[in-house]
Amino acid sequence: MDFRTAAKYAALLSKDYAEDIFALLVNYQAVSASEVAARLNLHIKTAQDFLESLTGLGVLEKEEVLEKKRPYFRYALKQTRILIDLDLMQVKREPTDNSLSIPIREKANAGARFAAARNDVTIASVTIWSGEGRDRQERRIKLTNPQGRFLYHLPFPKAQPLSVAEIMRKAAIDESLAAEILDLVQLLDKYGVIEKAA
Amino acid sequence: MALERKLKPDRSIGGAIIPISMPIIFALIAIIFEYTIALKVAAVMMALFGLFYLYMLLRTGNFHLLVVVCEAFFFTFMFWFLSERYVFGNWEGQRSFQVAMMIGTITFGILLIFFGINRRLQWRGREVFELAAESVEETGDGYTHRPRPVGRVEYSLHELRGFARFAAKHMIALPYISAKSITLVPLKMGDEFFRLLGLLGDYRDATWVNFDVDGEVSVHIAQKDYLEYREPLAFDRLCQSFGQLFIEFLDLHSKGEGIRAVDRMDELKIPFFS
Repeated sequence: MDFRTAAKYAALLSKDYAEDIFALLVNYQAVSASEVAARLNLHIKTAQDFLESLTGLGVLEKEEVLEKKRPYFRYALKQTRILIDLDLMQVKREPTDNSLSIPIREKANAGARFAAARNDVTIASVTIWSGEGRDRQERRIKLTNPQGRFLYHLPFPKAQPLSVAEIMRKAAIDESLAAEILDLVQLLDKYGVIEKAA
Repeated sequence: MALERKLKPDRSIGGAIIPISMPIIFALIAIIFEYTIALKVAAVMMALFGLFYLYMLLRTGNFHLLVVVCEAFFFTFMFWFLSERYVFGNWEGQRSFQVAMMIGTITFGILLIFFGINRRLQWRGREVFELAAESVEETGDGYTHRPRPVGRVEYSLHELRGFARFAAKHMIALPYISAKSITLVPLKMGDEFFRLLGLLGDYRDATWVNFDVDGEVSVHIAQKDYLEYREPLAFDRLCQSFGQLFIEFLDLHSKGEGIRAVDRMDELKIPFFS
């Protein structure tokens, strides 16, 4: 299951009325949105959205019913179990040789403020300002210890740029931590704190 | 060949502000109130001045400062004594007082001028900044608030502490010692009052050289100090040079030749009040 689908399940299951609607679906052969709304004292749109979402996920099936001249849908359970199986490793950004070999250095006049940790050769946090005038916003990024050590060894503006891998070596950061370092590099690049050499 | 100064001329009056302000305050109080009150205020000011220098002496271990402490307490006593006896006429012991005052003024004056000219009473921040910039010819700015790692030294914490005491004693830098590191903060004349009294904020925002327990050396140069240079020197090179200077001083100190570091600073012949 991908993250987005799991999030949809989680959002539906976290509703206050989710258990009550499932109780109706399990105990009735089929229900309509208006029946659910009337039974649970919900707005009909709320009930309908919930049932439609479950149908979209394949948990329910719907059948169009014609009563007098107005057609409507009746919903029935297609499965009696919901299994959310999410492999978290799918969001892991594997560092590539290419991403580790990009030469970088701090950008001159980036306007970021680095707070050095007391009693340690590491940067504790970076504060970045974005926007102009009244829209100016401050964002403080707290760093993990390896990220702080990485930033401590990042070449200065105008200094010879070094590759991410070289900086990690200088800062004695284990290769297994490359993913969190690259995440920081990506973030600082986005805010214009570092520059990639051509 | 004359040495080319990299720092702008020192036009701050920070170093002289306290000695200059004392007679002004004395004169104002004497005009507004009366001499006896002005003398008492002068005595209190001298006592505070003496206490500050006593604290500096204890913090640095520089016994040359004892001259300033003794001078301050001598004048504290004399001003207070005079305020109690002051009358428009003769009083018993006036002659002895005048002789003691003259001897004290001349003795302390000579000692202060002698130690002052030999820069034994001044903080040597300007010399440190000049020496650090001596080998930096490139310009190009590149200032950043970040500290820069400049290398590693193979000295024990005990040796590093010894060097910190040496740096304090010769007023090269004010040490801040913790269990994990030793940070040396070079002070320029005039900054010492505010720095030692803790009015300049966290020392981590100042210019410093840090030696950690693993021997890692890093440098931070405050923007205020960087802007004191005439030209926007290449910041990366400046930090490297700054760290190397302290590593050289540490090497000299470990060989028992620390006085050569002081000689290098003396050769710069920085003016009396800088």
